[in-house]
Amino acid sequence: MATEIMTHPYYKVNVLTGSKGARIITEPEEAARIIDKAKTPLYVFGAEVIDTPVGDKLLIDYALQIAQSRDIPICATAHVKRKMLELQVTPDSVYDIIEIVHFLKDKDWTGVRGQGQHDLVLFTGVRCDLAERGLATLKHFAPHLKTFAICRRSHPNADYAVPIIAKGGKWQEYLAALVKTLGTVTPAA
Amino acid sequence: MYVIDVGPQYEGERVRKGEFQVEYGGPDVGQKAELVLVKEMDEVEHDKITITGMDIKDLPEGSTVPLFIKVDVAGELLERDLEAVLERRIHQYINYIEGIFHMGQRNEIWIRIHKNSFNKGLDSLEHIGRILIDLYTAELPVIEKMSVEFITDPAKVEELLTVALTVYKERDDKVKGLRDEDVEEFYGCVLCQSFAPTHVCVITAERVALCGAINWFDGRAAVKVDPEGAQFAIPKGNLIDPEYYSYDTVNQIVAERSMGEVTRFNLHSALSYPHTSCGCFEAIVFYIPEADGFGIVNRDFVGSTVIDEPFSTLAGMASGGKQNEGYLGVGVQYLMSPKFLISDGGYNRVAWMPSVLKEMVKENIPEDLFDKIATEKDVQNVDELAAFMQNAGRL
Amino acid sequence: MRKGKMKEEEIKKTIKTEDGWEPVGPTPMPSLTDLRNWDFRLLQTYEPFYAPFCDLCCLCTFGKCDLTEDRKGACGIDIATQQARWILICCLMGTAAHGAHGRHMIDYLIEKHGEDFKIDLGSQVNVEAPIIRTVLGLKPETLGDLKKAIAYVEDEMIHLVSATHMGQEGNYKDFESKAFHAGMLDHVALEAADIAQIVGFGYPTSVADTPLVDLGWSSVNQEKPTIVVVGHNALVANSIVDYLRQNGLNDQVELAGLCCTALDMTRYDKGAKVIGPLSRQRFFLKTGYADVIVTDEQCVVTDIPQMAKDAGAALVAVSDKICYGLPNCSEKDVDQVFKMVVDEEQQVLILDADKAAEIAVRAAMALAPKRRELKKILTKEEATKLAAKCRGTCEACNRACANLLPINNAVFKTAQGDFTDLGKLFLRCIGCAKCEEACVNGIPILKLMQTAADGDTYKIRTGRGPIHDVEIRKVGSPIVLGTIPGVVLFAGCSNFPQDIYDVAWLAEELARRKYIVCLSGCSAMAAAMSKDEEGRTIYEKFPPEFDAGCIVNVGSCVSNAHVVGAAIKIANIFATLPNRANFELISDYILNRVGACGVVWGPYSQKALAIGTGAVRWGIPVVLGPHGSKYRRLFMSKKELDDWTVINGRTAELVDTKEPTPEHMMVVTETKERALITIIKQCFRRNDTPPGRGIKLNSYISAYKQLIGTLPDDLQNFVRTEKDIPIVYKREVISYLKEIGWQPKPVLSLPTIIGTYDTKVPIEATIK
Repeated sequence: MATEIMTHPYYKVNVLTGSKGARIITEPEEAARIIDKAKTPLYVFGAEVIDTPVGDKLLIDYALQIAQSRDIPICATAHVKRKMLELQVTPDSVYDIIEIVHFLKDKDWTGVRGQGQHDLVLFTGVRCDLAERGLATLKHFAPHLKTFAICRRSHPNADYAVPIIAKGGKWQEYLAALVKTLGTVTPAA
Repeated sequence: MYVIDVGPQYEGERVRKGEFQVEYGGPDVGQKAELVLVKEMDEVEHDKITITGMDIKDLPEGSTVPLFIKVDVAGELLERDLEAVLERRIHQYINYIEGIFHMGQRNEIWIRIHKNSFNKGLDSLEHIGRILIDLYTAELPVIEKMSVEFITDPAKVEELLTVALTVYKERDDKVKGLRDEDVEEFYGCVLCQSFAPTHVCVITAERVALCGAINWFDGRAAVKVDPEGAQFAIPKGNLIDPEYYSYDTVNQIVAERSMGEVTRFNLHSALSYPHTSCGCFEAIVFYIPEADGFGIVNRDFVGSTVIDEPFSTLAGMASGGKQNEGYLGVGVQYLMSPKFLISDGGYNRVAWMPSVLKEMVKENIPEDLFDKIATEKDVQNVDELAAFMQNAGRL
Repeated sequence: MRKGKMKEEEIKKTIKTEDGWEPVGPTPMPSLTDLRNWDFRLLQTYEPFYAPFCDLCCLCTFGKCDLTEDRKGACGIDIATQQARWILICCLMGTAAHGAHGRHMIDYLIEKHGEDFKIDLGSQVNVEAPIIRTVLGLKPETLGDLKKAIAYVEDEMIHLVSATHMGQEGNYKDFESKAFHAGMLDHVALEAADIAQIVGFGYPTSVADTPLVDLGWSSVNQEKPTIVVVGHNALVANSIVDYLRQNGLNDQVELAGLCCTALDMTRYDKGAKVIGPLSRQRFFLKTGYADVIVTDEQCVVTDIPQMAKDAGAALVAVSDKICYGLPNCSEKDVDQVFKMVVDEEQQVLILDADKAAEIAVRAAMALAPKRRELKKILTKEEATKLAAKCRGTCEACNRACANLLPINNAVFKTAQGDFTDLGKLFLRCIGCAKCEEACVNGIPILKLMQTAADGDTYKIRTGRGPIHDVEIRKVGSPIVLGTIPGVVLFAGCSNFPQDIYDVAWLAEELARRKYIVCLSGCSAMAAAMSKDEEGRTIYEKFPPEFDAGCIVNVGSCVSNAHVVGAAIKIANIFATLPNRANFELISDYILNRVGACGVVWGPYSQKALAIGTGAVRWGIPVVLGPHGSKYRRLFMSKKELDDWTVINGRTAELVDTKEPTPEHMMVVTETKERALITIIKQCFRRNDTPPGRGIKLNSYISAYKQLIGTLPDDLQNFVRTEKDIPIVYKREVISYLKEIGWQPKPVLSLPTIIGTYDTKVPIEATIK
């Protein structure tokens, strides 16, 4: 599908200064399709998942539901693991954000479960300016995979990004719809 | 794991007067002691922790009371000679406990438990007993059985104190009387080789390690506990030079462990084949030609010595694992050894030392010599030292 | 270019080879490529990790060039090499800032005291300049010798800058090697500058217990005429102190500083006040407390003239680096300038330190009585009124914020009379004022913060300069053995990701675990901004010695040299390794055996990048806060998957240690919790003795459990034998290790990477 160059993300410090930008996935159903098609996805959780509210839940609740829809391995960066253990989920990796990006750059790396390098990497909850740097690294140095920033502030350096969703209620709707649709598309063989 | 945190980061904590829940021993209490005894296997019930008398929670806040800590251990490889080594660990391990400080040893112990720790749940000596047993057995698997009793009943404490005093005296007599000649082996230590690659410490019954941390008994214990570790046994072999206390097997092992850099130690001399130093010494012995004698300076001494060089400059001459005749790094305890620099004349050859250090080792300096050794209060330079010694009839 | 005979003779003369304090090692006054093999060996394990800030190169007129995917620039450069070039450019800026500061300071002090003015750092410091001794091979004895050190930095820089031109270096590793060189030169400049000012101005030295001084924006006494000096070069600030003293005006005029000038001038006069770091600059200047603002150089916001005008304050610029387009009054008569400043309200540039000092003082005294009303900070009623237009919904401020803060909520609540969120915001504000610029209603957000800002005053210890040789002897052994778990330096800027007092939290967590904690610059100031239940800052709570569980303020940014210097002194004084012109030998020692770690929690500047890059060349790993990702480059290993083979110095054989220590040489962590764990890990060293590793692992396990809740997930990487396991956790760890099939690893007492790459240094040199 054709690549569009997005205009400004929510945070001006993340403005794109280049010729290759994210494709904006406005419909959560399309987001679900992209995730379902991946063969070896990975979900990277950043510290903000721990306590960012989304409606009456936390961001981590939605992120876990996304991950658990098809057993997507989770890399818990920063001190996210603590929260996950409270929720009785054990992450597959606790590499910190720069570490996991560093390994993802290596096309020969066998992934967090030793089952092969990942082809789609989801990111949620990493501080937005830091996330954008990590996405830029992968954009330039990891052509073997695609990235999807599941973040309502939007990320030009990802391959796929959620549009800016200003209202908390709409964000909750997006995530809920995404979770609902996940698992309904058979991954490619 | 425990109601409060435990770890080496709590060593050195202070608990001030208004902060303690309970204070055991210390300057205001006459009856206090700790004692480790090595017993037979069948004499010790493993993991038994007893409190005889009132517990922490039974005492009003701010109490100061007597305490006797009685630790019994047993194990195939344990022997009574190791009791002192094991006993010193009570101090270390109790200091590992968050909010408790332990000072002193033997019948001079002083323990304070912070109110914060009490409030977190440290309301019984049982917790301390549990931590002690866990730490002892984790570090020293040679301890196969261990029991701990805390006696706070004053009458019982007094009774046990009498026993303890006897045991301490027996140990002291043994140590005082223990000569290099009485033992079969010495102990070597190469812990410091990562910054002094050619340095080996030889620890004898009359020569503590120059860092001050390891004496002959410690070496013995370390070798038992960790045969692959930095400490190892050195069979003496033959005394090839009775005047300079040089042993053939010792020299052979030193040559091996120093990669051939050092081939001979005269164990009690600073002038001829002196023992090398890494840099961790507590004090330095240095030769002063003008006095044909030695100066001694300890690490804490501030300012220049009588030869107008401070500790730090002299340290450069004494360290690095090299034999530098006229310079010797030592542990302070060595200054109290009967064999202190015996090959060079011992205290008869000491010309100058800091006043605080001299006071510390007073008992080991012959009475008639004491006032004839100059300090920083008597002389400021080598000319004054020479004059001092002439007046004293030593030069 | 290969050095010819004449060049070699020149070097020998410069470093006074006839002065035989040590034999001269293989690399006296190294040039660009002399240490390249060492650099490449580092890069082999610690690959550069690039996070491009921009997909394009916009340097030359062939551009802009799109460097995405496999694309190259018109000159052939690729994205990785372009990032590396940019790194070199930024490092050079940093080196130049420190070098020029040093040059200025040394030239001024030579004018004052003469070239032969002796360097004497007191009875506790014999090894006066470990960095200059190691890098140049010169033992500096006079100010004239320090001038040689700066001249060397200047000579090398011209070649490095040249390499950044279009059509120069084409390989990212070589750019990184040159950046390392710039970083190392930066450290030479830092050391020369700080030694010069210590001896030239009589700053404290050979004293650990330096005075505690006041810190905080509200520590400034608004009743008095107030001069605020902003910047890093305390020359003029000290001249102001001299003028006040000479004229008996000490008690009548308030002198305060922002940024490192504050730290340095309090080393000269403990009555001066430290307002705070860079992040407080705009906030403070908008309060109007300053009657006269004096700008010197470095990290000075460039719109101070406008802020001064808005506040009705005078401005005297005193550095040729920051002239602001102002009239140069250096040659004018002092009374004439006074008239310009006070009567005509002109802002001026004065490059004469004494004249500038006199004008600043006289102007402050003249203006203060007239400015009483201008010094009143906003009341809550006024703030509510100013915020009234905010609906809290447009979020333009949030989107512009450099620190991603939820400003809209705070301002909206202020409009309702609730200042709680604004107070919390103040703790995280880095002072850029982009929010004000973006605000569609023109609300002066930084000014609003006056009502909610924490107005506490704090105590900070004045900078103490070099670490004492006796301190080194005392801690050398436990550091190398590992029983002091590490030396951590908090350096750098105030671009903190979250609360400003997180630095104090990190420092205290480490100090209570018996690390030696050093602080400098903006970090030292930020760490003072937190009090315990008894009202004590960390400087009051912990002793000021360079020892386990202590907290040391070394001083300003240029004082960072002393912590690198301490690591060198451990190798040289304590382990008696020769350091004269022996960079590789010393760095190898530090990398393998000295558990040190640099932390820049709020990095922003090119100077901090230069310092950090230089530290890496010395073998000291660096941990950065999240804004550090925008430097564009880090140094990362592949952790347990990498090759950790080194030489066993004892046997000269290769040994696969199987342990990633130190794990990365430059890494970013997102949160303070993860930073603490990472810092602790970065202090592990290959030669830790079992007791030492036990102590370090005790810290690692205890912190991990505290913050993550489990045993460390990579614990097995750092346990070599069971003897390494801390006794407090022994049972639990042994059980875990059994479960995952752990195998013991080799324990080396003399590890080295000399011998694993092509070098002039023989392996035997590492074991002397």
